[in-house]
Amino acid sequence: MRFMVWVRSPKPLAALHIDSLERAGVLLDAGDLVPHACGVSGYWLIDVRNREEAVERIKRIPLPACVVEIRQVAVV
Amino acid sequence: MGATTSVHRTVDAVWRMESAKVIAALARYTRDVGLAEEMAQDALVAALEQWPDEGVPKNPGAWLMTTAKRRAIDQIRRRENFNRKVEEIGRDVQEATPDASEGVDDEIGDDLLSLIFTACHPVLGTEARVALTLKMLGGLKTEEIARAFLVSDSTVAQRIVRAKKALADAGVPFEVPEGPELQTRLASVLEVLYLIFNEGYSATQGDDWMRPELCAEALRLGRVLAELAPKEAEVHSLVALMEIQASRSKARTGPGGEPVLLLEQDRGKWDWLLIGRGLKALERAEALNQPPGPYYVQAALAACHGRARKPEDTDWQRIAALYEVLGQISPSPIVELNRAVALAMAFGPAAGLALVDEIAGEKALQGYHLLPSVRGDFLLKLGRTQEAKAEFEKAAKLTRNEREKTLLLERAASCGT
Repeated sequence: MRFMVWVRSPKPLAALHIDSLERAGVLLDAGDLVPHACGVSGYWLIDVRNREEAVERIKRIPLPACVVEIRQVAVV
Repeated sequence: MGATTSVHRTVDAVWRMESAKVIAALARYTRDVGLAEEMAQDALVAALEQWPDEGVPKNPGAWLMTTAKRRAIDQIRRRENFNRKVEEIGRDVQEATPDASEGVDDEIGDDLLSLIFTACHPVLGTEARVALTLKMLGGLKTEEIARAFLVSDSTVAQRIVRAKKALADAGVPFEVPEGPELQTRLASVLEVLYLIFNEGYSATQGDDWMRPELCAEALRLGRVLAELAPKEAEVHSLVALMEIQASRSKARTGPGGEPVLLLEQDRGKWDWLLIGRGLKALERAEALNQPPGPYYVQAALAACHGRARKPEDTDWQRIAALYEVLGQISPSPIVELNRAVALAMAFGPAAGLALVDEIAGEKALQGYHLLPSVRGDFLLKLGRTQEAKAEFEKAAKLTRNEREKTLLLERAASCGT
């Protein structure tokens, strides 16, 4: 199942190390949103077996203090 | 959800993420894939026992690795003691012993690649390679593999035990092959991944047309392999092929689970993200400037469909030409059957029927349900309805998939009496 990971970070997302998602074959897409007053936002779209795996995979990324939201993508 | 259940789900997730890396690192350390897998399983059992009480450790992957490594060291020490005793009584026992000082580091790329090549070693039969790959690289449990292939747990367990023994008996080294051997061994790896994907994409048995979990796993392992072996065009090509085929998953079945043929699919249901990924993977393969291999041609074929937003946009002449190339690389009556379909689409059903009739006597096609199915389709388009009906009925008798059988019988019925 797919999860959208929203990240609101003080640092550009390009500086975050998400190689582990790529190497694990679960990263489908990544992108930046237009910056706003709270910092830089972006998203990763990952394909994993369940929510627990999504959380564990994101926990392994060395993130700065930032807001992360993990939401399952609805299957139409 | 209870706290214990929640922890168990976390353990499952961590296992799925870390097991291949743990097994790979231990296999380098022990030089014994079977032992490595057993020790990793022991670590999993320990996690299931301890984590519900003690909580999930901060770095669960490292915890599993350390626990498995300790168990492996204990096991090796026991073996060494045994060997010493055997030597003392004058027996000639030769067994490779690992360097106990060797550590398990984070650079597991080569280990993982070695594990992939070992699990897919040609010394093993196809079923054994598939089971071992899903178990050791996919982190699937025995019962999950059994459910995916509709066989009993004990059958899968036996396959895995026999496979590990066969690897040990054959003295298969835990390493990435080099030189000319690399291409042969890589072909074996790609074959296993594509077999897993295809079993999920077009289930050969049972009531379900697809088993998506197998497709997802094959695709994930293909992407992992592409990161580990970025200079191999056929790896990128296989990934491209699987991405593009997987993109059609939601369009391939109707509301009742019945199959929907490619040209009748609602392309709005295709996953255009996966198609984009597939086309990018194909570009990576092309950028390597290597001679086209069978997966490249198949991916290029899939891309012809993937690029067409409407069925009438499909470049059938290019597809027919690509099948001709594929027939030169991997000659097969099934490739010719597909070429016949492309010729029919590009130049009319009579052109396709001529080729089908040329290859109909091929031994490999006897009992293959798609031969009468395709022939029936051409005949129907040529207005030869009664001949078409007989072909669809013949195809329905030959297929082992219940939903496909229903579709073929419906086509036969639509030909009238």
